[in-house]
Amino acid sequence: MDWLEDELKQALGRKQPSPDFEARLIAAAGRRSVLRFPVLAMPRWLAAAAAVLVITGAGAGYRHHQGEAAKEQVMLAMRITGQKLNRIQMQMKGVRQ
Amino acid sequence: MLQAGCEFTELMREHRAMVFSVAYHFLHDRELAEEIAQDVFLSLHRNLAGLQSAAHAGFWLRKVAVQRAIDAARKRKRRPQVALDDVAEPVARAAVADPMLGETLRRLIATLAEAPRMAMILRYQEDLDPAEIADLMAIPVGTVKSHLQRSLALLREKLARRGVGEK
Repeated sequence: MDWLEDELKQALGRKQPSPDFEARLIAAAGRRSVLRFPVLAMPRWLAAAAAVLVITGAGAGYRHHQGEAAKEQVMLAMRITGQKLNRIQMQMKGVRQ
Repeated sequence: MLQAGCEFTELMREHRAMVFSVAYHFLHDRELAEEIAQDVFLSLHRNLAGLQSAAHAGFWLRKVAVQRAIDAARKRKRRPQVALDDVAEPVARAAVADPMLGETLRRLIATLAEAPRMAMILRYQEDLDPAEIADLMAIPVGTVKSHLQRSLALLREKLARRGVGEK
């Protein structure tokens, strides 16, 4: 290797990017939501937990709503039945008199 | 198989200088080189599961850095913003690394055509032999050797004109 090749090795030595390169890479990755750095693990975990809670809550709410609807239907049926029984009772009273 | 998280961070810290320098020496543009390095590492994370080992990841990173740097140069659709006439003339060659000569060499290399420029960077930055360079650039070994020889001859000629030569 001659002097020029030695100089080229010196001139083309590896250089470091800016000191904030790593931080900017993490920020860019966060924007693209592709990296799973430890610092980003917590928000992702929280987001997943929140999603599970929302889905569970929505399921429970839906079941509660279905129960309420069924209860209203039963109450309506009982009111109709009661009204019909009252009517029959009135008619029977009229027949006796 | 590699995994995301800590292994990715370790690979990024180990190879960031290599990835950045390939792009920087090729494009002679620090900002663009950092953008390319960032893009290369984001791509690494997406492809991490397909890489077998840290050594494989290092080889993969170098190959992708070379490709992205060449793509970026083509997108610019012009040679790096350095013309031979603009290259400063060093006063004299010092025995130890001369920062002025170093910068002159970097700027002279930036004026080379695409393929010889990348071959020179891989030879003298990465210390690769012609066969390894040929593999990375997907060109014949003979072409790599020819690029290296012609580029060295051209640099010697340019430096000799500026009064810089062998001791």
